[in-house]
Amino acid sequence: MEVRDRILIVEDDKSIRNFLKAILEANEYDVILAATGTEAYSLITSRCPDLVILDLGLPDMDGMTILQKVREWTGMPVVVVSARSHERDKVEALDQGADDYITKPFGTSELLARVRTAIRHSRTAGPAEGGRSGIFRAGGLTVDYDKHRAYVDGKDANLTQNEFKLVALLAKYAGKVMTYDFLIREIWGPNMENNNRILRVNMANIRRKVEENPAQPRYIFTEIGVGYRMVEPD
Amino acid sequence: MQRGKTGLIKNCGITAGILGLATAVCFFLQNFATTDTHVPLLFVLAVLFVSKYTDGYGYGIVASLIAVVGVNFVFTYPYFALNFTITGYPLTFLVMLVVAVTVSTMTTQIKKQEKVKMEAEREKMRGNLLRAVSHDIRTPLTAILGAASGILDNYDALGNAEKRELIEDMKKEAQWLIRIVENLLSITRISGNAEGAKIHTAEEVMEEVIGDAVGKFRNQNPDIQVEVKMPSEMLLVPMDGILIEQVLMNLMENSVQHGKTVRKIRIRVTCDKAKVTTAVEDDGCGISKSVLPSVFEGKFSGQDQDGPDSRRNMGIGLSVCMSIVKAHHGNMKAENAENGGARVSFWLPMEEEKQDGSQGQNSDRRRR
Repeated sequence: MEVRDRILIVEDDKSIRNFLKAILEANEYDVILAATGTEAYSLITSRCPDLVILDLGLPDMDGMTILQKVREWTGMPVVVVSARSHERDKVEALDQGADDYITKPFGTSELLARVRTAIRHSRTAGPAEGGRSGIFRAGGLTVDYDKHRAYVDGKDANLTQNEFKLVALLAKYAGKVMTYDFLIREIWGPNMENNNRILRVNMANIRRKVEENPAQPRYIFTEIGVGYRMVEPD
Repeated sequence: MQRGKTGLIKNCGITAGILGLATAVCFFLQNFATTDTHVPLLFVLAVLFVSKYTDGYGYGIVASLIAVVGVNFVFTYPYFALNFTITGYPLTFLVMLVVAVTVSTMTTQIKKQEKVKMEAEREKMRGNLLRAVSHDIRTPLTAILGAASGILDNYDALGNAEKRELIEDMKKEAQWLIRIVENLLSITRISGNAEGAKIHTAEEVMEEVIGDAVGKFRNQNPDIQVEVKMPSEMLLVPMDGILIEQVLMNLMENSVQHGKTVRKIRIRVTCDKAKVTTAVEDDGCGISKSVLPSVFEGKFSGQDQDGPDSRRNMGIGLSVCMSIVKAHHGNMKAENAENGGARVSFWLPMEEEKQDGSQGQNSDRRRR
């Protein structure tokens, strides 16, 4: 018997709920729906979905509250839906443990890509967590975690230690946006959190070593106001 | 908070400056004049100016008190001692006080009137914008509604190809609506006040903003080629990244929408010490001479443009770009390139305005 991934859609607008359901069901997901936060929370605990699509603006409670409550006991993937101009909400949601976000208005292909990535990460994150060994490949970019080297089209990119750490971190969460703060904390520690510039400079250097044209990146993308995202692996 | 404090410092500075000037002039005149009659008059004048150039009543009244006591102390016999028994003293005091209060009242009233006038102006502009936007929104909405009910009402009568065509139209119209709404939302990020438009700027890396904008544009327009050329060094420019991204998206989308035959868009970034200039250039049909001088003025549904499609978007897109760039203290220019295509460029200053201490507060915004 075929086992389908179950997705909970938390969204108060009926039309959006309908079309999300239609798209996801057409792509072989099992869909359950919730219109309010309370309903959502009880479905999360009773039906254990494989992924939650969470709209931040709900009538009865702030979507962020649900996210926090869920994160108290499970790493279940949560993809947040937010409006474009609210980059603060996105950063906050990501820092609170959301796996990804999609921006309203979004296309179906974008939605499905986010859903696939988030589910895949929830399956693979466990074992890769500790050792971070093996090799990441996306197009011409190869990241060798064991040798601490990154290659572009077979040639060593000559990254410095911090640059490699950044690339490796982005590759580990490939497809997911990493917020500026998360990256700074992971690489430079908690005392550098206010220093956005050091991250920008390092990323600019990485782009010059890895990308053919830094203004038209193929591997590492910027989400303005939020963070960086590594392209999905092959 | 910050504003209140700077206001206080500014007003105190003005008060002290004007009173100091009056005192200096009096000392100067003392060398020539044998009587003191000019002194109170000069100070009445000083109080008048203080009341005019400061906010509210307080400073004028304080200035008149200082002036009365100061004149008594310094310029009337006995010098450098207070003597409140001089004839006419209460009258001088009273006159200064009345002058201060009257002038303050008048100035406040004038300022209030100016504000009311400006608000009316803004209200008018907002009304115009709303009218234009509602008009522009109604057309695609009508098309969407028409197509959707057309499909629903004639579901069996319509062939698959026809249905698909109608649905594609719906999608196109909806995308266009989204573009309008995104632009309107951008405007709300610029908070206007009496002193002009305010934005939250932070240092952004130019190539990141362009890369993000070009990436999004490519997703929506896969068959248009985009080429970016920029200096090899990293450019950190103070800006609201989301808004500048919107500018770039608007310029690229305008090219596609109005250039008719556009296949390739070139983005060129150049930089000197003071500013970064970004030019978006296409290989389309260019901007016609008749609209070129007024492209940024926001003709919301351009009556004098040719063709049924060009009625759209141009106005809103470019005028939003202009408001955004102006809010960054930059400027824009539209022209036709040598190859006949359109070239729209905007430049942004490299340095943050000095009095603007928003840098720290921005990294805060980002961290939240």
